[in-house]
Amino acid sequence: MSLEYQFFPVSHPSEGAGGKTGNWRVVRPVVGDRCIGCNACYLWCPEGTIGVKGRRAEVNYEYCKGCGVCANVCPVKAISMVSES
Amino acid sequence: MKIISGNEAVALAVKLARVGVVGIYPITPQTTIIEELAEMKAKGEISTDVVRVESEHSAMGVTLGAAVSGVRAFTATSSQGLLYMHEMVWWAAGSRAPIVMVVATRAVGAPWNIWNENTDFMSERDSGWIMAFASSPQEALDLTLQAFRISEDPRVFVPMMVGMDGFILSHTKTNVYIPSQEDVDTFLPPRRQPYVIDPETQESMGNIFQPVHYMKLRQSINEAIVGAKDVISEVGREYEKVNPLADYKTLNVEYKLDDAEYAVVTMGAWSLDAMEAVDRLRERGVPVGLYRVRYIRPWAEEEIERALGDKKGVIVFDRATSLGRGGPLYLEMRASLNNPVKGVIAGLGGVSMNKKDFMDAISRSLEEIRRGDIKDVTWYYPGEVKEVELGTPRSAI
Repeated sequence: MSLEYQFFPVSHPSEGAGGKTGNWRVVRPVVGDRCIGCNACYLWCPEGTIGVKGRRAEVNYEYCKGCGVCANVCPVKAISMVSES
Repeated sequence: MKIISGNEAVALAVKLARVGVVGIYPITPQTTIIEELAEMKAKGEISTDVVRVESEHSAMGVTLGAAVSGVRAFTATSSQGLLYMHEMVWWAAGSRAPIVMVVATRAVGAPWNIWNENTDFMSERDSGWIMAFASSPQEALDLTLQAFRISEDPRVFVPMMVGMDGFILSHTKTNVYIPSQEDVDTFLPPRRQPYVIDPETQESMGNIFQPVHYMKLRQSINEAIVGAKDVISEVGREYEKVNPLADYKTLNVEYKLDDAEYAVVTMGAWSLDAMEAVDRLRERGVPVGLYRVRYIRPWAEEEIERALGDKKGVIVFDRATSLGRGGPLYLEMRASLNNPVKGVIAGLGGVSMNKKDFMDAISRSLEEIRRGDIKDVTWYYPGEVKEVELGTPRSAI
C-alpha cells in the first residue's frame, strides 16, 4: 500500500530563513563575567538567539530583539541591558 | 476472567500497553481510571509517568507533548472536561501524533448532570480522531489496546478515542477477560510515529502552513481515517490472539439481521437492552434485527449499506443530540441509506431505557414506517415519565 497520501505538519526552521531581524532593538543584552553557563537564558529566550558556548553565554545580535527575558531570568544577574543609542 | 468495572478495565489496558506518560485530570465518571493508575504507580506495578495537571486542556497538552517526543501516551476525560480540552483535541489530530484517549461519557451542562449521555463524545466527531464506542467493560479494554496499534500504524498515524457509557460501563463490574502481558507485547509492536520532536534537532511541529499546504494536511487526515477501515479489520483479526473470545473482524456488529425486514440501530451499552427487546419482538413475530455501531470515525459506509440497505425501515436510537436536527447517528444513517430511516432520541442525562421501553419505542416507530408516514425525530420518554410537560420547574410550583 502506498503511503503517498501521508502528510505531516512538520517544518525544519533554519537560521535566517526569514531574513535578519533588523535594527528595531533599543537595548541589547550584554553578558558579563559573572555568567556561570547555566543555560537558563537559552531555555527562556523566545528567539533562540542566546546560548552557552564554552562556559559562557553568547548572544547572536543579528536576530536578538532586545526583549530582556534573558537578563530577567539570569540567576546570577550576569546579563545587563545596554542602550543601543 | 476477573470481575472489574469499565474504568478498571481501561486502566489495565493502559498498564498492559506499557504506556510511558499519562497526562490526566480527574472528572466524574472517568476519575477511577486515574485513581487506578495512580495506585498501580504507588505499588510499583507500572513505570508510567502519571502527570497531574490543573485542567483537561493541559492534560491533553502534556499527553500530546509526550507523544510527539516519542512516548506512548494516554489520557481520559468526560463531559465538561472534554469540552475544556476541545482545542487540544484538535491540535492532537492536526499534529498526527498517535495518542489514545478514553471518554467516559456524561451529559453536558447547563444544568449540572453527571449521568450518562453520549453527546460529549459525539461532539468531537469533526476533530479528526478515530472514534470507537464500547458496549461493555470487556470491549472498553479490547478497544483501548487496539487503539494503540491502530493509531500507531503508519497507514493511519491519527489519534484514537474510545468512548464508553459513564457509570453504566465505567462503574459497573462485569466479567472481563484480561489478556496476558506476553500476548499484548506480541500484539503491540514498539511505538511508531511520523516524527519525533527533539530539542537537539531542527524540526518543529505546527508552524504556520500556507493555505494549500493546510488544506493538503486536512485531506491527508481524511484519507488516513477512511483508509483506517482496513487497518481496523486487520488489527481486529490479529487481536483474536490476545483475546480468543473477541470478534473485531468488522467495524460494527450485526445481530439477527439476516432474516430481518426492519433494523434497529444503537451504539454503546444500551445495545444489549435493545437486543433483548429485539428477541422479545421476534418471539411475537416482528421481523426485526439490530445493528450496533462501534466506529463513528471512520464511518463504515460499505458495511452499513450491506447490512441495512435492503431493509424496509431502519430505526436509529441516539443517546446524543445535534439540537435542532435530531441525533448524530440518525443523521449519519440518513446520509448512508436510501431506505426509510426513523430517528429516536432517548436516554439523555441519565434517563433509563429498559427492554420494555425499547419494545415500546421500536413498535411505535414501526407503525410510522409501515404507514409510510415517518414523523420527525421522536423524543422518547420511557414508561413512568411518558407525559412530560416542557415548562420550567419554577412555573410548575
